Amino acid sequence: MAENSLINNSLRAYEPREVWRRKVRRRGYQQLLFIQAQFNLYYFWEKRWFFIAMALGVVLYSMPPPEGLSREGQIVLTMSIVAIILFVTEPIPLPTVALLIIVGQVFLLGLGSTTVAKSLMTDSVLFIMGSLMLAVAVVKQKLDMRIAWLIVRITGTKTTRVCFGISLVSGVLASFVGEHTVAAMMLPVGITLISLTSKDPKQVASLAAVLLFSISYGCSVAGIGTPSGGARNAIMIGYWKEFFFDPGSPETYKYLIDYLTWMFYAYPIFLIQLPFVTLILHWTFKPRQKNLSRAVSKLRRQLSEQGPMSPADWMAIVIFVLILLGWILFSGEVGLGTVAITGAAIFLIAGLVKWEEINSGVNWGVVLLYAAAISLGLQMKDTGAAKWVAESFLEFLSPLGAESGLGLWASISVLTTIVTNTMSNGAAVAVLGPIVLNMATVAGESPILIGFITAVSSAFAYLTVIGTPACTIVYASGYLKTTDFLKVGWRMVIMSTLLLLIASSIYWPFLLS
Amino acid sequence: MFQNWPKLHSTDTNQSVSARLREERRNRFRILVCLDGSPESMRGLKVAAEIKPSKYCDIILLYVRSIDQGLRTGGLQMKLARENMLEWGLELPGIGYLKEGLSMLVNDEELKANWQINSSHTDSWGDPVGDNKVEYKNSDGRSIVLKLKTAPDPASGILDQYELGPYNLIIMGAPKTWRNEFGAFFGAPVAQKVATLSPCSVLLSRIDIEGDDLNGKNHLICFSMSKHSLDAMQRDAVLAYNCGHSISLYTVINQKSELADAERLLDQARESISKIGVEIKDVDIGIGDPVTEIIKKGSGYYLISVAASSKKWYKRFFTTGVAFNVMAASDTTVLNIR
Repeated sequence: MAENSLINNSLRAYEPREVWRRKVRRRGYQQLLFIQAQFNLYYFWEKRWFFIAMALGVVLYSMPPPEGLSREGQIVLTMSIVAIILFVTEPIPLPTVALLIIVGQVFLLGLGSTTVAKSLMTDSVLFIMGSLMLAVAVVKQKLDMRIAWLIVRITGTKTTRVCFGISLVSGVLASFVGEHTVAAMMLPVGITLISLTSKDPKQVASLAAVLLFSISYGCSVAGIGTPSGGARNAIMIGYWKEFFFDPGSPETYKYLIDYLTWMFYAYPIFLIQLPFVTLILHWTFKPRQKNLSRAVSKLRRQLSEQGPMSPADWMAIVIFVLILLGWILFSGEVGLGTVAITGAAIFLIAGLVKWEEINSGVNWGVVLLYAAAISLGLQMKDTGAAKWVAESFLEFLSPLGAESGLGLWASISVLTTIVTNTMSNGAAVAVLGPIVLNMATVAGESPILIGFITAVSSAFAYLTVIGTPACTIVYASGYLKTTDFLKVGWRMVIMSTLLLLIASSIYWPFLLS
Repeated sequence: MFQNWPKLHSTDTNQSVSARLREERRNRFRILVCLDGSPESMRGLKVAAEIKPSKYCDIILLYVRSIDQGLRTGGLQMKLARENMLEWGLELPGIGYLKEGLSMLVNDEELKANWQINSSHTDSWGDPVGDNKVEYKNSDGRSIVLKLKTAPDPASGILDQYELGPYNLIIMGAPKTWRNEFGAFFGAPVAQKVATLSPCSVLLSRIDIEGDDLNGKNHLICFSMSKHSLDAMQRDAVLAYNCGHSISLYTVINQKSELADAERLLDQARESISKIGVEIKDVDIGIGDPVTEIIKKGSGYYLISVAASSKKWYKRFFTTGVAFNVMAASDTTVLNIR
């Protein structure tokens, strides 16, 4: 047989479209798909969830409003349902959903464009923007080596202790600067420990899972610790103020939750969860390596080569402590967002980070998305849609005996957990916040307690890679499988929900009283 | 939608370079091996390495990294985490798999002695990591390419890479689960999506511990009466010959009354295979449901070869055929020939 028969007589390499190939310069599969879309509807297949959402939107929009719901409320509710489908299925870039929400408010609700534009920029949005800029600034300081050095100094070499140390340090930092920042900083620490243990990924699969989940879950349980720990916290603080605060009524001043008050409520929940994180991870993955002495000593040697802290390192730490003090002391008066952007400005003025670095490190579309989601949430309140959904949901819960008390708290927690596992926790709180706060009012529950249950439960996105930013970041290491998240996630959900319900029954009522 | 409108005014030079390159590639047997670190994908690479004469064969090892999308990292770009990893001297995910794949194909000493290295970078999807390619070219003409590609999702990346080809064969690790027509509506595994949309043949590699080498390295070539199927049978016979593997022919009939027709078909197949000089190890006829029978018979073979349905891709979305169902349910490596 001739040698070249492999090329001529074996499997064929077809040209995708012979006719089009001569006319169209190849620019990748996406363009080919577009061309094909003209003939074979592939475009519509890829975007099927967009069209399904839009079709559902048209149907809901055309229906007469249900009893008790205004026409405006029906429109806002329709927009919310469409937005949720688009958030979860992502057939179009997520910032596009934000643009559609803005356009929808003008064209469908008949609001003035200036009114809609104003509703987009609240202190919560300012905080999200500022904290993202701060996150880039903090990551750029390269303090991760120092943090790693601190961890291996205090934990020793036992795997459980190293994991607990990583969770503790990641958690404490994430509670103040946000989980994405810490996950990005700590990921190399975890991977270095794994790769120093063995170069063969199969040998260290369980160890990798334990170390990397210690980072991500340490960050996730901590994100609720302080208002600056995550966008969801600032969103809930904003909702309490928008929904319940009346400057003329001193009784409503309790709805202005400041930094320290939030910490009193939420920080203990984070701290109690920490030891359980380590226990659950070891129980689930059972790493063979009980001692990481070789990896830790190699890491210590690497870290000891970096020399003493530079003045810039100290400056960064001082600025960060000042921002923290600003949040604690002044956020009640000037808002969390103002302090966050002041901090970002100081980092820029001090020359510790360049604007270009911030500009390329922040996904600005996310800010737009949160702004639009919050704006839609406020419309849910103003049009009565949130109240109608809340009443309907309570009606549904009452035969189950869950219309108030522990049953209601558990239902809200479960609902939030489900939603937050399918979309970002900030978006989950932005969407659910107006509904659950109205449920609290209708059911005669404390909006503060219900708000905390929602905000804290939104951190229980342990089941999916996309649930939390920290999970997404550690997954990018390549050491974890998507099934690992399910394997350990359900245990984490049960643990966190139980601790949350205990806190709701015992600790928070004590604080409220 | 219109962002991707094709640019019709490319320069003549670009066109001629591209045309020349494609023409050169058409004279090669090009295999795209998609690695994801799974043992299945690594086994697929072993299949690629067996194809001889290797001087006519180019192997492209591909790892597709998904671009950071929307809210998933809470607004902080994933690149910050990646840059941090690089500053710690850590490899980006995927590079390790590509290096492991390369070491399976060529050892270090040979690589240093006989291979020229070229590397290139292309910006992609606005991502600074973009597409990175390292090409190892031997003086005998064969090349091994390591490609780290950025794409919205792995399936798009693989199919996008096909456009830069073309390729004769795509090799992938088989997924653990396979969605039915309804399930695929909500999202299908990467391999399923590629197998549906790929213009060229696809080999889904599996680790069948019991079946591996039970019959030696023997291809079970399954065929029916269609011209398309007979053509595919011949093509796989040539491939098996070039891998040094033996072949067995297998066809399935619904009932015994069709036996005479099936025997005639087998004779016809034997004749056409003998014309190209490939030895047939054995032949067999199964009676019953084709998918069940092929899977049962194929469990002891190195790979099962089935001819892809000649349906258009969108029909494959909605109605699957025998080849597709065998790919989905078999425990053995399956080659779907287009």
